[in-house]
Amino acid sequence: MTGIENSRSSHALAWDERVAAYEEEVRANPWRKRLREFTRNKLLFTGSLLGIAIVGLGLLGPLFLGSDYAGQSLRNTHLPPFTDGYFLGTDQYGRDLLVRLCIGIRVSLLVAAAITSIALVVGMVMGMCGGFLGGYVDRVVRSVTDFVWGFPLILVAVLLAGGLGQGLLPVILAVGIVNIAAITRVVRGEVVVLRTKEFVEAARASGVSNFRIMWRHLLPNVMAPALVLASYYVAVAIIAEAGLSFIGLGAQPPLPSLGKMVADGRGFLRLNHWESTVPGIGIAGLVLSVSLIGDGLRDVFDPQLRHEAKGVEKG
Amino acid sequence: MKHTASRLVYTVIVLFVSSVAVFYAIRLSGGDATAAALPGSATEEFREEFRDRLGLNEPIYQQYFTYMGRILSGDPGNSLTNNKALTTMLSEHGRNSLILGGTAFGLVFLVGVPLGIVASLRRNSWADQGIMSMSTVAMAVPNFWLALLAVWLFASRLGWLPSAGCCGPKHLILPAVVLAFEGIALTVRMTRSSMIESQNSDYVRTLRAGGLSEWRITCKHVLRNALIPIISLAGLRIGQIVGYALIVETIFGWPGLGQVLVNAVLRRDYPVAQFFSLVLVALVVVGNWVADTGYTIANPRLRKSS
Amino acid sequence: MSFVESKIGPGESAPGPEKTPVLEIEDLRISIASAGSSFEVVKGVSLTVCENEIVCLVGESGCGKSMTALSVMGLLPRGVARVTEGKINYEGLDLLSLQSRELRRLRAESISMIFQDPITSLDPVFTIGSVLQEVVRSHRNVSRAEAKEIAVRALVQAELPDAADRLDSYPHQLSGGMRQRVMIALAIALDPRVLIADEPTTALDVTVQAQILENLRARQREREMGMLLITHDLAVVASVADRVAVMYAGEIVEEAPVEELFADPQHPYTQGLLRALPDISVSRAGLYSIPGRVPSPQTPPPGCLFAPRCEHVLDSCWEGNPELKREANRSLRCFNPQPFEVR
Repeated sequence: MTGIENSRSSHALAWDERVAAYEEEVRANPWRKRLREFTRNKLLFTGSLLGIAIVGLGLLGPLFLGSDYAGQSLRNTHLPPFTDGYFLGTDQYGRDLLVRLCIGIRVSLLVAAAITSIALVVGMVMGMCGGFLGGYVDRVVRSVTDFVWGFPLILVAVLLAGGLGQGLLPVILAVGIVNIAAITRVVRGEVVVLRTKEFVEAARASGVSNFRIMWRHLLPNVMAPALVLASYYVAVAIIAEAGLSFIGLGAQPPLPSLGKMVADGRGFLRLNHWESTVPGIGIAGLVLSVSLIGDGLRDVFDPQLRHEAKGVEKG
Repeated sequence: MKHTASRLVYTVIVLFVSSVAVFYAIRLSGGDATAAALPGSATEEFREEFRDRLGLNEPIYQQYFTYMGRILSGDPGNSLTNNKALTTMLSEHGRNSLILGGTAFGLVFLVGVPLGIVASLRRNSWADQGIMSMSTVAMAVPNFWLALLAVWLFASRLGWLPSAGCCGPKHLILPAVVLAFEGIALTVRMTRSSMIESQNSDYVRTLRAGGLSEWRITCKHVLRNALIPIISLAGLRIGQIVGYALIVETIFGWPGLGQVLVNAVLRRDYPVAQFFSLVLVALVVVGNWVADTGYTIANPRLRKSS
Repeated sequence: MSFVESKIGPGESAPGPEKTPVLEIEDLRISIASAGSSFEVVKGVSLTVCENEIVCLVGESGCGKSMTALSVMGLLPRGVARVTEGKINYEGLDLLSLQSRELRRLRAESISMIFQDPITSLDPVFTIGSVLQEVVRSHRNVSRAEAKEIAVRALVQAELPDAADRLDSYPHQLSGGMRQRVMIALAIALDPRVLIADEPTTALDVTVQAQILENLRARQREREMGMLLITHDLAVVASVADRVAVMYAGEIVEEAPVEELFADPQHPYTQGLLRALPDISVSRAGLYSIPGRVPSPQTPPPGCLFAPRCEHVLDSCWEGNPELKREANRSLRCFNPQPFEVR
């Protein structure tokens, strides 16, 4: 065999170089490709743009318009957009709709952020413990999540509102609990698969503590699917908060919540439908941008779902 | 069989645990229960006597058993606000809710599954892309806002349908469609991906090699396999419809269980809130069990094990 | 070499030259399109399968054997791979020019195929009996009872134990070996002239492999079918093949009757494959593997595709790809064939 190496011709060496160059390119490709997908992914791009626009309006709007969302002006009620200096018009008490929209977006985002961070942290901890530790811990985690998972979110929220009274707290708790269950399920499923992988076995065999394995080896691997999932649950949280505020259980007046604003405008659809349509578009835009981002993230991070023609040619 | 039996035991346990959870959740507010029934001017002694009469001063676990005993014996009590018997309210409003929820549940599958199948068969065509973008948008539109748009368009503008009320077929259309909307969108996506997965599977290749026609393979084998995951999530769809019914019934003034429950919570009419929460929770749990049984029937791998 | 003696059963009736061909593949080219680029995975393969003959197509995974087999059935994954050139003749019909409807009628009835993974290859929600009968009834105008009879007969022939009682079984109730027997029953139920088996034993336990092969061979001999057996396992080749075609990187590099190939392999790749076979008579230190790797279809070498891994490579090998030269009853694609030395 050594004969081959000694007698390598210039042809063979040139060929080796070409293959090496190609392989280098392929090796560099996954990241380059992923990055390119990130920028080229239409869903992600549209979603981010829409998201930035809405969040920007919510955050920056009040800096210029002031944040007097409760200021009434009974002479200027039910104004349509672009009248008397009110960019989006006014509501039944003559409150500036644009200012209320901005604050409403802030409320939506804050509630969604609170819910999602609770759900993400608790869900990841529960899912990782259940999936990795197994045994009775897993049994408890599974029965609790299976139990919660089947329940409709709105019903849980109404129940808690029945106990705690109306306001944003029961909304955050209820949606949080249901989303925790959702994230726990997925993280647990991932971890159960990861647990049998060589790198985990190896770490365990060399005496690394459970906590360290979870923190150093499992967490980075479940992060991507958990984040993709979380982006969907941001949308769920926004819709739930808006819906509950709409029926009067969420944000209490005069704090503007997008859902509550839609409800307030309801009685004046014929008179000035903008009072309902504007916050409605706000909610739909927020949710649409979050779900587009979620779809895009899934495409980038979870190629399994994207390659529908998998397992094609092997031989 | 073993699977079905163990699910039944599980369902009973879930029913028990959730009844406890509902009972405690509603009682979180403690003594506030008197606020709804009694005028603000009522004296403290009078309130105390009222609590005594309702058994609110007993230990809470005892209250739970007394309460469940009364429910099981068919006398869950009366509303605090209008003193109506809860059983009467259940039969009145329950019927309405079943009509609305049943229609929506039917729509979810009768509309969602065919659309998903069309999208999967014409993959990447304009029809597929149209259906998929519609479903993305449909999932982003909150149903209460959709309800308002629908009322504005079909009731106020066009005058084709009533904006609210009960209980004729014309009154049913708008709330049922709104209630089913998100479920349809989810079912479309699920059907499509499940069909595509099934189309790409090895057994379909085997059937093609056996010379069966594409049409036959799709209608019989692909569809049958693709339906299994869809049926397995029917339980979630039931839960979703029950949840959204609270909002949609309120908007359309459809006198069902959801509307009654929301009003009871807003008015702190806790016997009503408690009882109807229990009813809805039980409905969800039992619905899940039924869906699970359907899943077992559809999936031979669970039906009998050898 | 000792491989030929290890055949299952006697090597009766070695096919003479007067055999009639049933399946002829001529200059077949298949391309795969992926992410905007497309490359050739099968590069001008020609192959003939005669009546009552087992032709083995041997090669490493990824060399295009499965693609070749699937293209005969018209089952290349749609939108991914397609035939760009060539002809596939079955009894005078060009399969590639047939309407999908006509091709469908030929499947199972004239040409059947068995796949590698019996676990995923059977529809999990229908009983094996119902699928068998469905296939039978889609080709033959027979009653349910007759279809059932044909199904049972096929299962008996595939040597599924308690065949008649298994009709109502679901695939998940059967073991891997039993499922592969069901696949065989599906393939032979309608008495086809050509049987294509794509790695039929690779996914099975070693103990079951021999039984399945023996069964396939027995059915082939008694029905005088032409059989194209795709495998990467030379032990399988030695035990059942009449003729062997060795494939490398999408091309056939050597083709010969099985005895001649094992006795006198001429292509350096074939020689490498034979040398790489573990032999219990030789110490373990002697395990051999061909140096280098299969070139990826994106970067084919400029001349002979095997040149980068060849021991006897010449400068001219880098400059042009040799033709497949036919000589008596074997063919070879090599500029510099050297006699085989066992090491």
